[in-house]
Amino acid sequence: MKKTTMKAARQHKILLPTLLATAVLSVSTGASAAESVFVGHLADMSGPTAFIGKVYANGIRDSLAYINANGGINGTTLEYETIDYAYKVPQAIAAYKKWKSRKNMVVMQGWGTADTEALISFVAKDKTPVFSASYSGHLTDPTGKNPNTKKPAPYNFFYGASYSDACRGLVQWAAEDWKAKGTAGKPKFTHIGANHPFPNAPKKACAEYATELGFDVQSPVVVSMKPGDFKAQCLSIKSSGSNYGYIGNLGGSVLSLVKSCNTVGTDIQFMSNIWGGDRKTFAAAGEGIKDYIFPAMTPFWDDSAPGMNLVREISKMSDKSGEKSRLHHYMRGVCSTYFMKEAMEWADANGGITGENVKKGMYAQSNWVPKGLEGVCLAANWTAEDHRGINQVNIYKGNFNGGEVKIDKVTTVTLTRRDDWLGY
Amino acid sequence: MSSLALRPCGDFRTSYKQDNTIFETKTIRRMAIIAILVLCTAPLFVDGYVLTLCIQIAYLGIAALGLNILVGYTGQISLGHGAFFGFGAFASAWLNTSFHIPVFLSIPLAGFLTMAVGMMFGLPAARIKGLYLAIATLASQFIIEDFFARADWFSGGSYGAAAEPLTMFGFAFDTDQSFYYVALFALVTMFIWACNLLRSRDGRAFVAIRDHYLSAEIMGIKLNKYRLLSFGISSFYAGIGGALYAHYLGYVSAEGFTIFLSIQFLAMIIIGGLGSVKGTLMGVIFMVFLPEVLESGVSVLKDTDWGNVPMVVDGLAYIKEMAIGLVIIGFLIFEPEGLAHRWAQIKNYWKFYPFSY
Repeated sequence: MKKTTMKAARQHKILLPTLLATAVLSVSTGASAAESVFVGHLADMSGPTAFIGKVYANGIRDSLAYINANGGINGTTLEYETIDYAYKVPQAIAAYKKWKSRKNMVVMQGWGTADTEALISFVAKDKTPVFSASYSGHLTDPTGKNPNTKKPAPYNFFYGASYSDACRGLVQWAAEDWKAKGTAGKPKFTHIGANHPFPNAPKKACAEYATELGFDVQSPVVVSMKPGDFKAQCLSIKSSGSNYGYIGNLGGSVLSLVKSCNTVGTDIQFMSNIWGGDRKTFAAAGEGIKDYIFPAMTPFWDDSAPGMNLVREISKMSDKSGEKSRLHHYMRGVCSTYFMKEAMEWADANGGITGENVKKGMYAQSNWVPKGLEGVCLAANWTAEDHRGINQVNIYKGNFNGGEVKIDKVTTVTLTRRDDWLGY
Repeated sequence: MSSLALRPCGDFRTSYKQDNTIFETKTIRRMAIIAILVLCTAPLFVDGYVLTLCIQIAYLGIAALGLNILVGYTGQISLGHGAFFGFGAFASAWLNTSFHIPVFLSIPLAGFLTMAVGMMFGLPAARIKGLYLAIATLASQFIIEDFFARADWFSGGSYGAAAEPLTMFGFAFDTDQSFYYVALFALVTMFIWACNLLRSRDGRAFVAIRDHYLSAEIMGIKLNKYRLLSFGISSFYAGIGGALYAHYLGYVSAEGFTIFLSIQFLAMIIIGGLGSVKGTLMGVIFMVFLPEVLESGVSVLKDTDWGNVPMVVDGLAYIKEMAIGLVIIGFLIFEPEGLAHRWAQIKNYWKFYPFSY
């Protein structure tokens, strides 16, 4: 028995890949029509970041469907496919390669840190612009102008302020807030988050700017990305007497943190990253969300910006009734897709829709707001040497009062485009 | 060398040479060589997508084989294999960028560095067994993961590390087609190496420890030495796999090397067959192709009228994720010895057809 097992094994150790390879090849489909260009869409709808990944992905998917339903890119249809890679890097790579080799992908809409960073080298080599929802600061230096940039990311774009810039904006607001309150002494600032690439992304950059603005920067407090009892961490925040805390985590972890710190009775002003605050999170947290500061790059669903009409039309692509209320992450997906759309239109008019031309199209306009989305997308400026499209941070305040979530705009902070902040 | 017992009757070996062959018959050896030659021509026929999957199979396969040496052959357990895989990836990128060691040298060096780290974590592990060992190795997963996030000098912290492509004699292996050969070469080398290891004195010692550690010790096998060695070799394989991954991607970020990757490695060897070299490869192929096959199933449905109805597509996404879990449970219940065993049965059936016993 066993001998034959071994025989078979040795032989088929090598044969099997060949067989499987041919099998997969025969299943595959290819060939895209001349009248369409392919846009790949990586999304996380069933993985660890799915609870916000789905919202953002729906924004992209509905926009792509809406663009097609309304004439495409000057008549060229967008052929697209959404692949749920469940935040797994190997699957993201496989999906990318599939699109690249079989569908002749021109542009990709990506999602998080994991897929975006894994693909940085590939997209640069293949000249495929990627629009991600990973806002890491190091994606903003396309040429490696800043000597601190380890790896230039020439084909990476995102709509919104980078994690670092958003945090800088919050710190800038905090400095003014401290002055307005007129309390004596130096304000204390703490970074709160898990020890992972995503919460850590703005840690150093933000702490440096906080020090520059006269904050007393405390040592960071590590809080797990998974929800839990964070009273111990809250006690250390309390004993340090920190006044402002930047939350690097998201979702359930933020809820646990706010609740634990309320129990402990800290006197800290929380400021979260862009994924750390939305209506759903506040509603789930219930009483206890008080003046929770968070940044946003778009208005909210019930706001009455002129561009919201278009957003509501787009939303009907997957919600015929038009009654569904979307989280504001959805609008970021819409903006990301529409900047891509207009860059593709520019490319179409200037030599054809190729990855290289779409990249050039991203630099064609300044103070750029996609048509129809006025008041939804912030004016963006991408240049060949600076991929910090947005240098504005809208700061909002979330409250939960008597069963109702209330979100008010606090202010808009505009950051200077400092050279030493490029790619950082 | 997994099957030292339960030989079928009539299977005699009269010399050590016979007992030690990698390929049991000339036909199998010829078939293997032909298969490798056929694989060498693959880039002429298949596209980048299939090549990517083959490259994935190669680097994951090398790492999974390391885990199988530890779990399947030595009877230990490791829940930190994904972290060692990541360590190899970062180590190779770090050696290359910080010390300008050429990539073809930094890959094996990264293997040895990972081996050193693996043995360090193996030190306490060599003295404990069972559940305790599982928890100790789980700790190594989290310690190394935390190290990635903190050690800016090594991994670039939250920024990740850039990895140069492999270059030899001025030729850069930076396309799927060219890197495929690197991956194939590494896979074949590492698998032959493992086969050789397992028919050596050390390999037999591993199996003896797995089968009955007390008897092994009485026979004069140093338990600590061999357990530690097994940890070292397993980490070496993980390091090589990780280094290949790094230089294929060109960029390493700590995001990918979580406990999920470690569990995925375990799933690969359980599905493939514990204590089987070829089973490892089968398990890896299965785990790499399963999501892709399910995905193409979803895509086929997307081309129909049900296409971009988000509810349908999202639902399928969940089914796809659940299917992977379901397959693992299915294997544990119906085929605990893995694909390798199933394959042997299929082969036996046809060998004696129509008189199978």
